[in-house]
Amino acid sequence: MDNGHSKEIQQVEYSTVNNIVLKMLEAPTTGWYLLLFTCISAAVIGFVCFTHQLLYGMGVAGINNPIAWGVYITNFVFWVGIAHSGTLISAVLYLFRAKFRMPIYRLAEAMTVFAVMTAGLFPIIHVGRPWFAYWLMPYPNERMLWPNFRSPLLWDVFAVSTYFTVSALFFVVGLIPDIAAARDKAKTKFRKVLYTVTSLGWNGNLRAWKHYESAYLIFAALATPLVVSVHSVVSWDFAVSIVPGWHATIFPPYFVAGAIFSGVAMVITLIIPLRKIYSLEPLIRPEHFDAMSKLILLTSGVVTYAYLTEFYVAWWSNNPFERYQFWFRPFGDFKLAFWGMAFCNCMAPLTLWYKPLRTNIAYLFVLSIIINIGMWLERFNIIFTSLAREYVPYAWGGYNFSWIEAGITVGAFGWFGMWMVLFIKFFPAVAITEIKMIMPPKLRNAEAGH
Amino acid sequence: MSGNKAVVGVFSYLDDVANVIEMAKEKGLEYRGYSPFPHHILEEVATPERSPVRFISLFGAVSGLIFGFTIAIMMSLDWPIRTSAKDIVSIPGFVVIGYECTILFGAIFTLLAMFHFAKVPDLLRKVGYDPRFSHDKFGLVISCSASEVDQIAEQLKQGGAEEVEVRDGL
Repeated sequence: MDNGHSKEIQQVEYSTVNNIVLKMLEAPTTGWYLLLFTCISAAVIGFVCFTHQLLYGMGVAGINNPIAWGVYITNFVFWVGIAHSGTLISAVLYLFRAKFRMPIYRLAEAMTVFAVMTAGLFPIIHVGRPWFAYWLMPYPNERMLWPNFRSPLLWDVFAVSTYFTVSALFFVVGLIPDIAAARDKAKTKFRKVLYTVTSLGWNGNLRAWKHYESAYLIFAALATPLVVSVHSVVSWDFAVSIVPGWHATIFPPYFVAGAIFSGVAMVITLIIPLRKIYSLEPLIRPEHFDAMSKLILLTSGVVTYAYLTEFYVAWWSNNPFERYQFWFRPFGDFKLAFWGMAFCNCMAPLTLWYKPLRTNIAYLFVLSIIINIGMWLERFNIIFTSLAREYVPYAWGGYNFSWIEAGITVGAFGWFGMWMVLFIKFFPAVAITEIKMIMPPKLRNAEAGH
Repeated sequence: MSGNKAVVGVFSYLDDVANVIEMAKEKGLEYRGYSPFPHHILEEVATPERSPVRFISLFGAVSGLIFGFTIAIMMSLDWPIRTSAKDIVSIPGFVVIGYECTILFGAIFTLLAMFHFAKVPDLLRKVGYDPRFSHDKFGLVISCSASEVDQIAEQLKQGGAEEVEVRDGL
């Protein structure tokens, strides 16, 4: 039976899957504590910088007029993009019955949830007075004020909060049977209680599976449009305005492809060390990396095409502001960011056309980091260059980075890393149930040669 | 379960447990099957009817759609400030709100429906549950009276059960 997997994964026993995955939950090593400490330290740096900004005002950040959306919004778009591929891998590939998703989707979903939690911090950090951030929500108030539903910024509130809620529900529902498996092997009382409560007492009876399967399919169907919508809505934050370089109908597909591109790269960055540390080689095999590499190659092509289209449309429009903007990007003040982006996102992934590199783990790890640097630079390019050169030359400007912004950016990586590190030690980071589903079922008749 | 005894069979083979479920259904016995993962063979035998979760999801999604458009329209009319020459009730802009609420409500209702029909949370273990059922074994618990125990235990063994155990029923 060919389930789209090598013979090795088909020969793994059900109990082996449990043993390999649940071994990850055993008592933490010194290395794990060091990693957690590093992540928490980075998060503390970010928190200290944010506190400094609260005390002394937004002037300590590099944000200025005209570049009012600086590093914070770049980080927001970057992290929403990272979040994106988790839902693609878990929901869209589930609907398409792409079996290569099974060993990697849990980590991708966790990445989604934690990346949205990170992205959600940035609008709050950016607004300056975060204690009024709740004004964005439509809530009854004595002055009968309501938010502006025609604004893309409010669409963002709905899109990102819906995305977070649905991704978190999808993630938690997928986890329930695997937490039950962890419960049944738990060695300490703390873990037993933790897993009994978080598995909601799941016992895998056939009637429960029936409704679970149905609900999971519906979740996937509901989450799939979110893959398209969340980054489309984020792109409208830009495209609905009339700023040169932003006002383009290509933005939604361009942002969605870019998000999948960066998200898959981040999955590779996370999964490679995890695979090595926890000996997951029997479950996460070279063909999975090959499939993810192909996805990177495809989305890199889409992103490159979008970059070229932007230049072509600027030239074809004969609009002097658009034309100037697309001259400014490769040759203006921020040209290093542009060429860095072009190298990381357009040229470096082309090496994946060479098949041996698609399964070369060390190479993929380095490339995935390069891609994520490139995608951060892409968001930087879009935001900074367009705001620096709008219509009136009198209103043009530049940007000086501040150490506060750098600290908060580092803090975001620490915050994200902290949740990931805690997750892989307390909950099954590889889907036990779904891997068993793609293995050939154990049948007496099959063994008897029928 | 109705009987005061429960006969628990532990199986390694998926088709064995499917065959025994078939037998239990034919005899009208009350049973509960366990599996470490869902599989269509077991589903066809044990629960061939379609899950009603989808109707609740649809209800939730439609409610969300109505809710999203309603809040956007009502609140815009309640605070009528014209921005960027757009209509006070700008349906194209409100599509995003309606769309997001459709998915949000659909997902929440799906979760609640799953909890309801799958009977979770259920922190009290069922009689007959064995931790191996979440690992590599399939399980079948048949409820019966004390006088039927021996007969059913024998049938489970003949059906391929590796272990058969008798416990007090629910």
